[in-house]
Amino acid sequence: MAREQRIQVTVNGRAYDKVVPVRLSLADFIRENLYLTGTHLGCEHGVCGACTVLMNGRSVRSCLTLAVQAEGAEIVTIEGLRAEDGTRHPMQQAFHENFALQCGYCTPGMLITAIELLRENPDPSELEVREALSGNICRCSGYQAIVNAVLAVARQGAAG
Amino acid sequence: MSDTRFVNQRAVGTSVLPDEAIPLVEGFGRFLNDIQLPGTYHVAFLRSQHAHARLRSVDASKARMLPGVIKVLTGSELLGKVEPFRSMPNRFSGGESVQHWLAVEKVRFCGEAICAVVAESRAIAEDAVELIEVDYDPLPVVSDPRMGEKDDSALVHDSCTNNYLIKREYERGDVDEAMKAAHLVVKRKFRIGRKQALCLESRGCVAAYRESTFALTVWMSHQLPYVVRHYLGKHLGLHENEVRVIAPHTGGGFGQKASIYPEEFVCAHLALALRRPVKWVEDRLENMVASTHARDQYIELQAAVDREGHLLALSSDIWVDVGAYSTYLWSAGMEPLQTAGLMPGPYKVPALRYRTRGVATNKTPVGPYRAVGRPSASASFELLLDEVARRLEIDPVELRQRNLIANEEMPYRNSNNLVHDHVNYVPCLKLSTSKGDYAKLREEQKKAQANGRLRGIGVSCFAELTGLGTTTAVGPGTLLQPGRDAVTLRLETSGVLTVAAALPSQGQRIMTAMRQVAADELGINLEDITCIINDTATAPYGFGTFASRTAVFGSGAVIKAAKELRQRILACGAFLLGVPVEDVTIANSVIHTLDRGKSISLREMAEKSYFSAKDIPEELNPGFEVTSFYDPKRGSFAAGAHLVAVDVDPETGEVKIVRYVATEDVGTIINPSVVEGQIIGGIAQGIGEALLEEIVYDEQGQPRTVTLADYLVPSALDVPRIELHHANTPSAALGGFKGCGEGSIIGALSAISCAVADALSQRGGDIHEFPATPERVLRGLGVLPGGA
Amino acid sequence: MKPAGFDYYAPRSVDEAVHVLADAGRDCRVLAGGQSLMPMLNCRIVSPAVLVDINRIEELDRVEATDASLTLGALVRHADLLRNPQIRAGWPLLAEATAYVAHPAIRNRGTVCGSISHNDPAAEQPSILVTLGGTVVIAGAAGRRELPAEKFLTGIMSNALEPGEMVVAVRYPRPVTGTSAAFVEFARRLGDFALAGAAVMLTIRKGVCEQARVTVVGMGDGPFRAHEAEAVLTGSALNGKTSKDAFNEAVAKVVAGVDPSEDVHASADYRRHLAAVMTARALQTAFERSGGA
Repeated sequence: MAREQRIQVTVNGRAYDKVVPVRLSLADFIRENLYLTGTHLGCEHGVCGACTVLMNGRSVRSCLTLAVQAEGAEIVTIEGLRAEDGTRHPMQQAFHENFALQCGYCTPGMLITAIELLRENPDPSELEVREALSGNICRCSGYQAIVNAVLAVARQGAAG
Repeated sequence: MSDTRFVNQRAVGTSVLPDEAIPLVEGFGRFLNDIQLPGTYHVAFLRSQHAHARLRSVDASKARMLPGVIKVLTGSELLGKVEPFRSMPNRFSGGESVQHWLAVEKVRFCGEAICAVVAESRAIAEDAVELIEVDYDPLPVVSDPRMGEKDDSALVHDSCTNNYLIKREYERGDVDEAMKAAHLVVKRKFRIGRKQALCLESRGCVAAYRESTFALTVWMSHQLPYVVRHYLGKHLGLHENEVRVIAPHTGGGFGQKASIYPEEFVCAHLALALRRPVKWVEDRLENMVASTHARDQYIELQAAVDREGHLLALSSDIWVDVGAYSTYLWSAGMEPLQTAGLMPGPYKVPALRYRTRGVATNKTPVGPYRAVGRPSASASFELLLDEVARRLEIDPVELRQRNLIANEEMPYRNSNNLVHDHVNYVPCLKLSTSKGDYAKLREEQKKAQANGRLRGIGVSCFAELTGLGTTTAVGPGTLLQPGRDAVTLRLETSGVLTVAAALPSQGQRIMTAMRQVAADELGINLEDITCIINDTATAPYGFGTFASRTAVFGSGAVIKAAKELRQRILACGAFLLGVPVEDVTIANSVIHTLDRGKSISLREMAEKSYFSAKDIPEELNPGFEVTSFYDPKRGSFAAGAHLVAVDVDPETGEVKIVRYVATEDVGTIINPSVVEGQIIGGIAQGIGEALLEEIVYDEQGQPRTVTLADYLVPSALDVPRIELHHANTPSAALGGFKGCGEGSIIGALSAISCAVADALSQRGGDIHEFPATPERVLRGLGVLPGGA
Repeated sequence: MKPAGFDYYAPRSVDEAVHVLADAGRDCRVLAGGQSLMPMLNCRIVSPAVLVDINRIEELDRVEATDASLTLGALVRHADLLRNPQIRAGWPLLAEATAYVAHPAIRNRGTVCGSISHNDPAAEQPSILVTLGGTVVIAGAAGRRELPAEKFLTGIMSNALEPGEMVVAVRYPRPVTGTSAAFVEFARRLGDFALAGAAVMLTIRKGVCEQARVTVVGMGDGPFRAHEAEAVLTGSALNGKTSKDAFNEAVAKVVAGVDPSEDVHASADYRRHLAAVMTARALQTAFERSGGA
């Protein structure tokens, strides 16, 4: 039984066709085969959230997903958040303006989780924001600036 | 005394958006694991399953045969080739510990590295690790420092006569006399559990031979690149300047990445031997056992007070479980010496005595972590003060006010020989209690009690010595003295400014802070200033980012260098404008006459200076690169007062923080939003210490907290919204800056611990072991048998 | 933390999967959501020789709600359940408990059947299946069989699957009208494994408790079905005056019956105490929801 498989996967809008070891995680595939190192590994057991990406529109832990499971899927990582003309995603801009990152290691997962939250709940309370983010560990910021950033984006969205 | 400083457009004091954050928010950071060099070999370590054992044999033959395995390195192969880590001697040293990079003969803690496997991929290296057969001969385990100090205890290091890695006694003033004369003597015992920094990014390195002009280049997720370079040179037999150390983007440091560890040095050795890049990324399971732990104290203390609650004396007995080796660089002295020596904090303690011990055990070594011994010391002392307040029926805030070093009393030399000055202890407390409406909090507490709810209020005041200069040691008696760092300012050929310093950032926005200071000192636009900070090849000597020092050192050195650079710029600019030098100034990157009649841009001046040097007299064109060292000599005291209200659920023991008010004195603030982030981040870690985080071992030295499902750090639901206020006063250092990275974790652990104890005291309960887990809370309430 | 090597199969039908499982032997794991299994693989706690990924089997990604029951195929994710208004309305206990499962990203991949098969004593899903009187549908070379929850859940982290078998669905009977339910849990942080939890269903008609189901989470072996507590409540009058005593007695039975283990988060004592607190709170909440309080 070969322990490699060919996969075709779209990442940040670009199609890839690669042969990968079956035991390779989606996180390692993105980072090492596609050189998209913006997605980070903090624990490799699903707890810290730094590796969170969107897979077919839903947030998933890329450290708990095998690359071969992404066959045919559409993946979005932090590098794919900017618009085609290069402008930052409003959530990225809000994180920057609200000082919502310090070391930056948790930021990729935080952004993805926050973006999914506002897609499903466009006008969350502060408590709802904190609940949604409670699966993403930040060791630097104490979360306040991150929560401020998410609420700022929600307000912008509400303002149209 | 410096001359009048020129200050331009006040970038300092504004929340300038940090350009350095842009790559991070866009996903283009370069952390250690992001570095991928062609031909890299990957390392995995075989780690000890036993806390204490003789290594009868290590058989790596099957591992070596696995396809994709390049080499398996054992400790015996390194013997004689490299120098093991001998603990940094300390004036009050106990035994010396010798740490081999890979275990030879014996392993002394679970997780100690025994073999290094080098392979084509990390996965293959881990496969090979599983094939290595080790024959362990288990030895008796030392798992408790108070057992470990007994004469009949097994020895962690049989070259030592006992397990003390450090022991110190100190007395100033007549403590016994004070105890006799006191109106009241209060005694308490506390246990502060073991922690770890839990950086979201674990450690790691890439070591490469001849990657550039340097014989050895090492990228290391580390806080102190120059120090690493020094020791790499020393231990590998290279000239220091053949080595280049670069700290890439670093995902948290907090002191854990400020020690020297064997693994990275093994990788450097392998890179030289194999002449291929060698990469090691510490995974989380490794990090839980291989990176330094922190705290882990048993504290017994007594305070003597007079009738009004004024402190007369403080006496403490401290045992720290420092693990199996004296951490290389800082020694096992850090926690024991700081917990004891810094316990008085911001309070007047006329007489002080302590006996402190760092006892070796068969556990992961203990090293520096944010604020080191101060949180535990402060929490114990504040809990003791609350007990004094209860016994004397004095309000806890009032009691603190009576004992804090008042501004009028400064400079004040405390019994631990530290001189307090330029710091606002009382104003911080006053502001916290007024903004928090302390009286109303107490009323609400009474109402809650009437409704059967347990509300607790805690207040803590801390002193935090930051930016330590050469006359103040990081730990009393340590020989390693940081205290002088350099900054280079260089005007480039196009008139932009480079600020270079070896003060790497783990998110503190040091680059932004130094740019702000440089902009003000030089009159150069912020956008025209770039800062480089992390590379020994491009930055002048700096000790590194540690002990809340970068604001003081980086900014101070910028100010010194800027003074000289500005003079040179104006002299050259004046010549080019044909006016006397007194008639010119510089603002917004333009040198102009005071009447604004004539001007020349910095760009034009620089181009002329570099490319048309023949047109300018040599004495007016000496080059625009200035390197200045700065030593603030002493430290700068920062301060804070945290006021916390908690609700305790008497059925589950759950503690919820319902109000958090913090006032801090962090001196002159460079970037308010950055400072706020640092303070709140420190508070979050303090919440973790107070309520959630604990590394647990069993009696056989086996770690029981091995994943992030076991070791719990605060989530976004565990940190409340913090009400942050400032009562700043400038320090005596250049620029009036103070460090602000560590104080808030002290305030948080102390105030929350006091609040929980206050809640329990309403039902006659108590708690003395922390973190205040729900179970300990219930035991303290008597709901579960055992008492806390 | 890279997993050891394995042979990987991604069958497209249950038949194909069962075939692969039959050949694979004992050293084989089924991969559904992977939120429990992948951490174990990454930590090398388990290193199966064969991994059978069932995520390509479309027939397993099905939710079927009828008057009689709710059937969730093996690929139904916790998040799907939370997003389904029929389930929230018809099986509120299931929805309430599922909200406690970990965090959004975990719920997006993790499956209800996977959680039940894994049978971690601190997990919510196994206890809900027990409380609702559900069954597990199993496929193997010999065909399909259906086991009641308590027969399927054989002990800590174990189930009744034979080699070559896999779970294809779970089925929950529809609660009878007049049933109110509650799930409460105590964990160190939101989304962590429960230190203890309780699931309660009360069917109260004309002030009499016709049926009571009480299951306690986190008690050592798997879901603790509190038969004796249920016996105390069944047939008893439950109104504002009598409920307190009845619940106290039921809770006492729970405390006497559970045999929790200790771990780094809680001692056995504390877990037993929490079992009482959680049961009491769940009973009270279910009672209030019935309108009886």
